[in-house]
Amino acid sequence: MSVGAADWLPAATVMASGRPVLSAGEIERHLLPLVDLEPEENPRLAPLRGCLLVLTSHRLVFLHEASLSARALPLASIIHTYPPHRRHNHSPLRSLFSSSSSSSSSHHPRIRIQISLPLSRSEVVAVVVTCKADVDVFYGRLLEVIRTRAWEATASAAPASGAPVAEGAAPAEEDLAIRMPVVGVAGILRKEQETWESAGQNLQDAFQDLNALMSKAKEMMELAEKMRQKLLTNSSAQSNSNDEEMGSKQDLQDLLLSVGIVSPVTKETAGALYHQQLSRQLADFVRVPVERAGGMMALVDVYCLFNRARGTELISPEDLLQACSLWEKFDVPVMLRKFDSGVKVIQTKTHSDDEVFARISSLAQKPDALLKGISPSDAAFTLGIAPALAKEHLLNAENKGLLCRDVSPDGFRFYINLFNEIDLQNIHLPKTHGLYHTWISVATAAH
Amino acid sequence: MRRRPGIAGLQNAAATRDKFRLVGENVAKVRTDVMQEQLATFRSQLEEFARKHKSDIRKNSVFRQQFHEMCAKVGVDPLASNKGVWAELLGIGDFYYELGVQIVDICIATRSHNGGLIDLLELRKLLCQKRKTDLGSLSSDDCLRAISKLKVLGSGFEVISVGKKKLVRSVPTELNKDHNGILELAQAKGYVTVEQVEKDFSWSTGRAIDALETLLKEGLAMIDDGHRDGKRRYWFPCVTLSSDASGSEAKS
Repeated sequence: MSVGAADWLPAATVMASGRPVLSAGEIERHLLPLVDLEPEENPRLAPLRGCLLVLTSHRLVFLHEASLSARALPLASIIHTYPPHRRHNHSPLRSLFSSSSSSSSSHHPRIRIQISLPLSRSEVVAVVVTCKADVDVFYGRLLEVIRTRAWEATASAAPASGAPVAEGAAPAEEDLAIRMPVVGVAGILRKEQETWESAGQNLQDAFQDLNALMSKAKEMMELAEKMRQKLLTNSSAQSNSNDEEMGSKQDLQDLLLSVGIVSPVTKETAGALYHQQLSRQLADFVRVPVERAGGMMALVDVYCLFNRARGTELISPEDLLQACSLWEKFDVPVMLRKFDSGVKVIQTKTHSDDEVFARISSLAQKPDALLKGISPSDAAFTLGIAPALAKEHLLNAENKGLLCRDVSPDGFRFYINLFNEIDLQNIHLPKTHGLYHTWISVATAAH
Repeated sequence: MRRRPGIAGLQNAAATRDKFRLVGENVAKVRTDVMQEQLATFRSQLEEFARKHKSDIRKNSVFRQQFHEMCAKVGVDPLASNKGVWAELLGIGDFYYELGVQIVDICIATRSHNGGLIDLLELRKLLCQKRKTDLGSLSSDDCLRAISKLKVLGSGFEVISVGKKKLVRSVPTELNKDHNGILELAQAKGYVTVEQVEKDFSWSTGRAIDALETLLKEGLAMIDDGHRDGKRRYWFPCVTLSSDASGSEAKS
């Protein structure tokens, strides 16, 4: 039943969080939990069972969540889709060959799809929806995506993307080459002028109404990229750039962090899977910024960064919190941590307590610390963290039995816990090795 | 152009080169001007579209992504919902969420020079700049309301009052590196004063007071108001003095 058996479909890559890896320009459109894929006519093709179905603008991804493996059916190979129906009585052959499990799924709605596989002729497969989801909505989206043929657009754009800066100007240059050869300074100047004039004209056309902008979106994106590049190189090259230019450069850099998640999980596409998928996407997203921030980041900051990366598809603070709390169920490299003060942070698991405890106990075993103990500020300096956090870590280490505390008017000081070292059988016998011995030798040397 | 011998030839060549450079500079300048102009149009149009066609843009997921990319590239904030009646009365809709995201954004962006403590008024000014509205249309009550929506994300993000000013603190105590600086400063004499901290780090008054008060609350500092100069001293008994060894003798 594993996904690996269905080697008649190309494999798809999956993130460690259990989200499919999307190619450039690919956008998630709909999700269905618990879907089977059954070949209808060819018994040699192994079926897929119990998969999460992700409909993207390019593919149908069948994701087996337990094994984190996936198979993808490119939408380009779909020849025809049949509307969903609940009973199958079209193929008498099938009922002869079919296994017992398919009889139980016979009352589930199925969508039959005719596809062309690379090696064989066309096959008919059925997407069997075994969960209680609205199949008609899914079918509607599927038809819409197939009609849009987004995979063709990216395929044709891909080879040209080698020179993104020049792209916007390309059509104008072609026109020019026919009309007038570019000769001399005047020619260069004219070419320059016409390039910008056409860009301006384009800009005006595109922003007439929303439909115009939609159809010109690609060109406008290229123009935007071109402007950005020019502006960034210009203002860095010219030292005497004026305030306005500096201001706009500032604007650009401010928002650089906002380009991020191309296909944000939304309630509309994920339906009942919303929080679960959001949680996985968040885990993928948050790992890099948290690591860059030194392994720990306030939840509020993450909220801002994540929403910025999602553009206008804002999520509420409550949704974020719920997504974080779902991490316990998945194997993700980050975790939510709540301090006693009520502060919530996200930290990487490598930045976890065990690692901190190891560093604290080695700090507490230095000769100096064996004598005088360590204060929260000492720990803060050594660990490179804020004093409040250091104190929190020290108290946690004390709870674990690693440290003992000495409370004086001067505040807390923490000592390594020697009680662990004492042998209950002969309490009075000083040891000649180990921590206890080190402590004795340090203590006697000091007097 | 053929090169001619002699001084005249050299001078000629130099003059030509100068002329070419002048033309080149001119072209570059004109080009920059034109582009600035086009960029301004581009931005204002995007802003207008973001406001007017928000729901249409969100409906089409492919275009939504393209629109975001455009906005990001030319530096337009796509979050531009108007407040509207519903948001005003019931606090629903995207307005306050958007405001919240933008507020945190500003706090993060300015953190490097204010240490995560920003005056509410300054925050409002930056916010209006980002949203391209005037200061009157965005009250401080709106900001407070947006901030209160962030409460569920933990208590690190809050509004505090220092004197008459209202400040927004975006760095929780657990992650505040300001305290390390103060402790380091205290290593010299064992105590610091507000003035000293302000002068040494060139911080604003609110930032220094807030950091010292937090350290006091954490139990790391003690205050001494009894000194002759009348300035409150913050003592840090936990800090080992860099020059003094007598304290350690007493301890052992």
